[in-house]
Amino acid sequence: MAVEKDLKAILGKLKFSDDAKVLAQISENTKLVHARMASIKHKLVVMSGKGGVGKSMTAVNLGLAFARQGAKVGLLDVDLNGPCVPRMLGMHGQSLTMRPEGAIPPVGPLGVKVASMDFFLDDASPVRWKGPMDVSPVWLGLMEMNVIREFLADVVWGELDYLLVDLPPGAAADKPPVIAGFIPDLAGAIVVTTPSEVASDVVQKSVTYARDMGIKVLGMVENMSEYRCPSCGEVNELFEGNTEAMCEALDLPLLGRVPFDRKIARTFDKGEPLLDETYPTIQRYQEIAGRIRTLLDYKKLLADKL
Amino acid sequence: MKFVCLNCETYMNFEKVEKPGEGTLGVFFGCPSCSAKFSMVTNPGETQMVSSLGVQLGGRTVAAEPFEMTRGTLKDEATAGSGQMAAYLNEKIQGGQPAAAAATAAPAGKPGEKPSGGCPFSAMVAEMGLTSGGKPATGGAATSDFTWSADAKEKLDRLPSFVKPMVQSSVEAFARKQGYQTITLQVMDDSKSESSNGMPWTPDAEKRLENIPDFIRPMARKEVERVAKERGLATITAQVMDEVKEKFMKFM
Repeated sequence: MAVEKDLKAILGKLKFSDDAKVLAQISENTKLVHARMASIKHKLVVMSGKGGVGKSMTAVNLGLAFARQGAKVGLLDVDLNGPCVPRMLGMHGQSLTMRPEGAIPPVGPLGVKVASMDFFLDDASPVRWKGPMDVSPVWLGLMEMNVIREFLADVVWGELDYLLVDLPPGAAADKPPVIAGFIPDLAGAIVVTTPSEVASDVVQKSVTYARDMGIKVLGMVENMSEYRCPSCGEVNELFEGNTEAMCEALDLPLLGRVPFDRKIARTFDKGEPLLDETYPTIQRYQEIAGRIRTLLDYKKLLADKL
Repeated sequence: MKFVCLNCETYMNFEKVEKPGEGTLGVFFGCPSCSAKFSMVTNPGETQMVSSLGVQLGGRTVAAEPFEMTRGTLKDEATAGSGQMAAYLNEKIQGGQPAAAAATAAPAGKPGEKPSGGCPFSAMVAEMGLTSGGKPATGGAATSDFTWSADAKEKLDRLPSFVKPMVQSSVEAFARKQGYQTITLQVMDDSKSESSNGMPWTPDAEKRLENIPDFIRPMARKEVERVAKERGLATITAQVMDEVKEKFMKFM
């Protein structure tokens, strides 16, 4: 009969060493994210608690607006399950080029570099992961966060003035602010809403949660503020909300209002984005980009102008 | 994770990892004293837990490829199908019975217990006198000691629902302080001015604030007032503006 061993006594005599170096590996992963992000001057996330308010449209057009102003821009689409940035920019079907030093992002209109889950997927294919995702969404959450970590650590952006990260919808612990917390030296979040009361209600929750996470919210963009008739150019209100009041209550600047514009919607939908900077709606984005630049230089501005 | 050889009373050494099947890992260990070997085989859940951390079992021996995990775990169309973990649990726990049959066979609960269907929090919410939306069961209308003029009420009603109680409370506090009984549009405007201008500003200080673009002027105003409060000052003067300016010059 085997002699009963006292495990506690045995362990007391042994010296533990972490051969697998799990903590060291996790720490190394974090260092890689920091190293990759270090060459980017301003990292911004575009978020909203609500889906369908036009986060991607705003992120893409702000990216193009910064590029028009002469900046080097990257767009990171981390909406893993609904990536649409490549399609809007006519880049669907392109891919990241894998090199030993990392993944080289394809370059889109106006020199904007783009990374997206879309580059890993075939036409009409949803994201499906190997593994036991069918039993617990907890695993899915872990997997997705790790994929996002790879997007931050492995894409070779090079020197950038702005990286705009298009976050998936969600107000709180269902990821977006947590993803934003991944990004070192994040300059801040741009929150997109529509004047709808339903959207406002959810959006304010996401602002509160982001602030709880220590994320600086730079300001709010009101999308679909009006409808511009493509025939006569007349502008009418779509909703009866009050984004100004929400911004005031949340102590946030309203960065600008963008009308629902059928011409813009159609061209981006077809992957043939309208790039004409004299077009009125594009000018709105240019103005918003200018205000964001001002906000990023807020301290300098106070020193200069007060 | 470590394994101990109880015969030799020493830690076993990690040797290698093999992948005997989809969703499973075989991790090999050997005792450095008696050369005993064994392999630990993980189920799909355990495998997933390790891979989700983005770490390699036994430590990394070669540099990571870009998007190693993303590319390695995206499921191909060809392999898309029924879940590995569901199949594993079905086989190991339910003895191969279909999940629905196992659920049907579950005991229906002790006699005398309340039925467990429906939301477990609904009773608690009802006891608190709240609706499921968290608003008072009376319909959420905040009671008011004041008479609101029709146009003021209309302006208040146009505010988003989460802003409305804050604004109502702020305006009524102002009205109470001023001794007003009726809230008009003018009272609303005056209350707004008071809350945004927490401190008095001299005309020259106000003039200098106008140099700041309007969309961030409220932020700048608050920043200046915050600095003034820190210094124990009651009024914003040109001198305070100079101090704030000097403070921000340091960031340039």
